[in-house]
Amino acid sequence: MADRSPVITGLGVISALGSGIDEIWPAIVSGQSGLRPLTLFQSPRYGQIPVGEITRDLAEIGAPLHGSRSDKLAWLAARDAIRSANLDTQSVADRTGVLLGSSVGGTHDTERFLTALIKHGKMLARPTRFHECSSPADLVAESFGLFGPSFAISTACSSGALAIATAAELIQSGQADVMLAGGTDSLSHTTWAGFHSLLLVDMQGGCRPFDVARGGMSFGEGAAVLIIEAEEHARKRGAKILARLTGWGASCDAHHVTAPHPEGAGALAAMQSSLRRAQLTPKDIGYVNAHGTGTRDNDMAEGKALKSLFGANVPPFSSTKRFFGHTLAASGAIEAIVCIEALRRQQLPENPGFSEIDPAIGLSPVTKMRPEKLTHVMSNSFGFGGNNATLIFSTAETVPQTRPTPSIPAIVTGLGIIAPEKDFVSERAIQPPLPPDSIKVRACGALDVSTLTPNQRRRLSRITQMAILAARRSHAPDTTKRLAVVLGTGFGCIDEGAVFIENLIAKDEVEPMPTRFPGSVHNAPAGQVAIDLSAHGLNSAPTMGEISFESALWQAMNQIAIGEADEALAGGVDELNKYALAIGKRWGFWTEQTIPGEAAVFANLASTTTKKTSLARVTTVRLGRYRRPFDAKREADWIAAAVDLSKVNIVLSGAKGWSEFDAHYNSVVEELSRRTGRALTHQTYKQDCGEFYSASAVGFSVAVELARQQQCVVLLYTLSSRSGKALCCIEP
Amino acid sequence: MPIATTELKTKIIESLNLQDIAPEQIEDDAPLFGAGLGLDSIDALELVVMLEKNYGIVIKDIEEGRPAFKSVRTLADFIDARRSN
Repeated sequence: MADRSPVITGLGVISALGSGIDEIWPAIVSGQSGLRPLTLFQSPRYGQIPVGEITRDLAEIGAPLHGSRSDKLAWLAARDAIRSANLDTQSVADRTGVLLGSSVGGTHDTERFLTALIKHGKMLARPTRFHECSSPADLVAESFGLFGPSFAISTACSSGALAIATAAELIQSGQADVMLAGGTDSLSHTTWAGFHSLLLVDMQGGCRPFDVARGGMSFGEGAAVLIIEAEEHARKRGAKILARLTGWGASCDAHHVTAPHPEGAGALAAMQSSLRRAQLTPKDIGYVNAHGTGTRDNDMAEGKALKSLFGANVPPFSSTKRFFGHTLAASGAIEAIVCIEALRRQQLPENPGFSEIDPAIGLSPVTKMRPEKLTHVMSNSFGFGGNNATLIFSTAETVPQTRPTPSIPAIVTGLGIIAPEKDFVSERAIQPPLPPDSIKVRACGALDVSTLTPNQRRRLSRITQMAILAARRSHAPDTTKRLAVVLGTGFGCIDEGAVFIENLIAKDEVEPMPTRFPGSVHNAPAGQVAIDLSAHGLNSAPTMGEISFESALWQAMNQIAIGEADEALAGGVDELNKYALAIGKRWGFWTEQTIPGEAAVFANLASTTTKKTSLARVTTVRLGRYRRPFDAKREADWIAAAVDLSKVNIVLSGAKGWSEFDAHYNSVVEELSRRTGRALTHQTYKQDCGEFYSASAVGFSVAVELARQQQCVVLLYTLSSRSGKALCCIEP
Repeated sequence: MPIATTELKTKIIESLNLQDIAPEQIEDDAPLFGAGLGLDSIDALELVVMLEKNYGIVIKDIEEGRPAFKSVRTLADFIDARRSN
């Protein structure tokens, strides 16, 4: 199946160093830096420290008027990538998806809302419309009219690289022919002050990765998007192949929320996994683009991992972070483009900021750009939660050794559910700084945290505790197993993030909250579950509105299919939050039918060859986007192409939440019934758990119970408010 | 006047949310990090915030604080030394 090998046919990038690789590469050659004084927002304590800020007027270079700053950066990179690939998006729309990493999402814009509220008592909710980390992927898919599988990955600083790796999997498994994949993150006061609260920022002129006198990281913003295609597709349309993505791998340290494993064990595992995937050996790698943030812990751990993998023959390596600043979720994608250009130009980029070797590491990076014969290059990205991802790019001329990734069913061996009690609706008081109010909610009761460790009780937020308790219930501990954890979420740790930002704005950067900052990232619950269960496999936090759970389910099942995990936890988690409640009320979301809810649900998945008892089998997971106006016939075609309708008994849908979707769901079930000549049973779950982004995880647990108890085949069908759709088939 | 270690213990418990621990359970010379109270690098950062909030002491590099965070006694001595400067 070499014809489904992922190849790169286009790229787009926007950064402080420039827009487009033709602007960026000369700047790299001449050793310029994109770091400059901060102007995007006021920073009383740290304003004098240079950052990788994009000072161009985004509207002037064509960015859409609506959307967050991260959305606009992603859109600009996507536009340039499509142009450079000569891709006629309309002709490939149904088989083209978007997978973008984002960790900041619309936080910069949300800060405007919170500043107006806290400092001036004004409720101007509009900027929060694009708060979610899935917004950039949604905007790009909407704007370019793409209907293939699309979601976002939010695993802090490894997001961009993991999005690229996951896009390659979507192509190899046949879910898509073309993917727009990469990452985007704007600067935000929250991340800026957050990294300062962790004392991780270089207070001088810029980061100095691997240098003995390093002082921490430099900050930046940007976006980068690759066009990744199945080789057969690229050849058929006569596209120019720029490079190949031959290897990718991910791992989790399962060690600590911010500190990497001191021996670099997770970094090593990710690099090894990427080599396995590419069927290459360490000696084949001609260059490594290091994560190289310039923090002591990262450089030590990465240095050790490089020495463990390559022994005495560490290939030329460099960190290019000082050129751009650390652009968080965009960094893996920007650095992927640096690697592709290095291959195309046969040049090694230097490691600016380095002058003196650190004896504790004993490795010297490339200090001056030079020509080099390159065939395979590696790029590392590591993030909070001990999240590691490695990509391998190879020249267009290389013969790929990629293995096919058949889509195979998995069995569910356990479920863990923390959900609201049926028929229990309570009044939730809205707290300051919001105007006093109260809203009906379906809330989970008090958590029994007695089994959690003292550190988990005192430091972890409620949503993370919910996730840990649900994960433990779903999983029978077995230390010999390689375990992946994939947890979908719409809003992530929104409470923790809100407390951090409220404090930041109210106190003008004084008395920051260093525990809450890493606790507020989307992948904090998944990372803490991994620590709790010693899960060293893939750790991911996909997000895409109402199909966040299904995105997680697909990613988890795929880890089992490709043999990178023996078992995988797929879950969904979201929590009630006063801002989501109050703004939702203002916008008319909450009604007698649509009551906000929350839950944490995990399903433990295993290969069908395992000897464990199966509750049910998951035979199909499909992701995509629906067209507007909604067309039930077209949707039924999409469903019929993926599952054998003749065996389906029940359709379990996301109806009885947002009422505007009820008609869509009803029309699809009617159309499916018409085609099968039987009246399919239409069941729903939101009347019990309430409306929230990852509610379909509760739906999945209902589907598993229905399949098991009634020995019937259940279709779980979900639509998202921003045009996403997902389909799972659950069988006895 | 030198800082009382009991006061400091209360501040540590408060800033680190050490729910199950009373000030008298922390010995003056017992290690705070690692085996002792099970604290880690994130807790050290919370102590940095606590020092600024309560005593006006600003630490910009965690290495600077490391020797002070060994025990309650070393932290008390550190605060006394900084305040007398």
